[in-house]
Amino acid sequence: MYQTPVALELTDIHKRYGDLEVLKGISLTAHDGDVISIIGSSGSGKSTFLRCINLLENPCQGSISVNGEALTLKKRADGSLEAADEKQLARIRSRLGFVFQNFNLWPHMTILENVIEAPVHVLGRSKREVRELAESLLEKVGLSDRAHYYPSQLSGGQQQRVAIARALAMEPQVLLFDEPTSALDPELVGEVLGVMRGLAEEGRTMLIVTHEMKFAREVSDRIIFLHQGRVEEDGTPEQVFESAESTRCREFLATAV
Amino acid sequence: MDWSVIAEYYPRLLEGSWMTLKLVILSSILGLILAIPMALARVSESLAWNGLPRLYIFFFRGTPLLIQIFLFYYGLSQFEIVRESALWPYLREPYWCAIIVLGLHTAAYVAEILRGALQAIPRGEVEACRVMGMTKPTMYRRILLPRAFGIMMPAYGNEVILMLKGSALASTITLLDLTGMARTIIARTYTPEEIYIAAGVLYLLISWLFMLFFKLLDRLFNRHQMV
Repeated sequence: MYQTPVALELTDIHKRYGDLEVLKGISLTAHDGDVISIIGSSGSGKSTFLRCINLLENPCQGSISVNGEALTLKKRADGSLEAADEKQLARIRSRLGFVFQNFNLWPHMTILENVIEAPVHVLGRSKREVRELAESLLEKVGLSDRAHYYPSQLSGGQQQRVAIARALAMEPQVLLFDEPTSALDPELVGEVLGVMRGLAEEGRTMLIVTHEMKFAREVSDRIIFLHQGRVEEDGTPEQVFESAESTRCREFLATAV
Repeated sequence: MDWSVIAEYYPRLLEGSWMTLKLVILSSILGLILAIPMALARVSESLAWNGLPRLYIFFFRGTPLLIQIFLFYYGLSQFEIVRESALWPYLREPYWCAIIVLGLHTAAYVAEILRGALQAIPRGEVEACRVMGMTKPTMYRRILLPRAFGIMMPAYGNEVILMLKGSALASTITLLDLTGMARTIIARTYTPEEIYIAAGVLYLLISWLFMLFFKLLDRLFNRHQMV
């Protein structure tokens, strides 16, 4: 089978909080266009793993590379790893879009300002050009009429769609979603999943930590089930949902679906 | 009571008010300029950066403003280096001494107010900056400082009004601010009630002006909360 180039490669990621080891060596390779969902019960380490990818959490061991560029890491006094070169970290982060559970829009800036901020002031692109891009992205997520509103004037679902547009404005190579619908009222979940489904269909590379099993099954090329900091099951949605080898994974899906 | 003294001396009282206004505005600007790097150093994780502003704040918050003014005004001239320095023409003027000491004093408070505001920014908003690949200078300049100004505005307005009243101590080093002027007039006319009441009313008026100004600033920095 033809394989697209590797977009993201993580090897043997470990993370410890004191004596508690929350990630016990997780490796993952994502190719361009892959949509990978990471599932598991709370405490399984899935969000921590996602946050290790762009060093929002500092792993204790492991390596990270984006589009073939390995992030250089050095050990800190407490044993965890940090970026050896802040500039490289910033560059790599700018290529990874990250969508948070709690949206984390900047509340003192309008929707449009939120979206154009980073492309202009991180990538150094011209304001006019980015503004056009931002307007088309807001249209894509169905919020072009809200460009001059402030985040607090929007519903959770709308805020999350803005957050997605803000991530897309950086034109990232990989999109990371950290439980993007977990903070939403049930009736607002659909609009966000709809936008994400559209992105998956465009062929974007996505890593999604989620509790939405139905969505994960429909959208993903591959599902990873984490349990207590380890990969317990890894396969296509059919394999994982129909014939998982791990008992824990079967039990989890039986209660979660 | 003889209210005619007010009619006679109000131009002098207005002069004093203008002096008070200049003291507060210039020292507030100086204080803010000094406070920003101190607050940034205070929120840094490095202990070395943390220590210096901590010591500074400890000193300026822990000693009376009056003592600081005396130390600076009477103390500095004891040193030959100071008297021979290029700054001496300024440092020997009570006017500049008062502005500098008031500025140094308020800087300590404003630094703490700003530090609190920076630390009150929800963590997620900071993470949103980091995941975009912002460097620290960009992050502070573009997002965190403007956000912190909004958070600190009410406390900051308060601090400037405290400064307004603190500036009365400048009269102890011969400066004719509103308080100094009132005392000078009273020494001549022996009408303390009338003149102190007039001075009090002028102080109220000036605080009211500052309150209005900070209300406007609050609207500017926190317009997202007004909608």
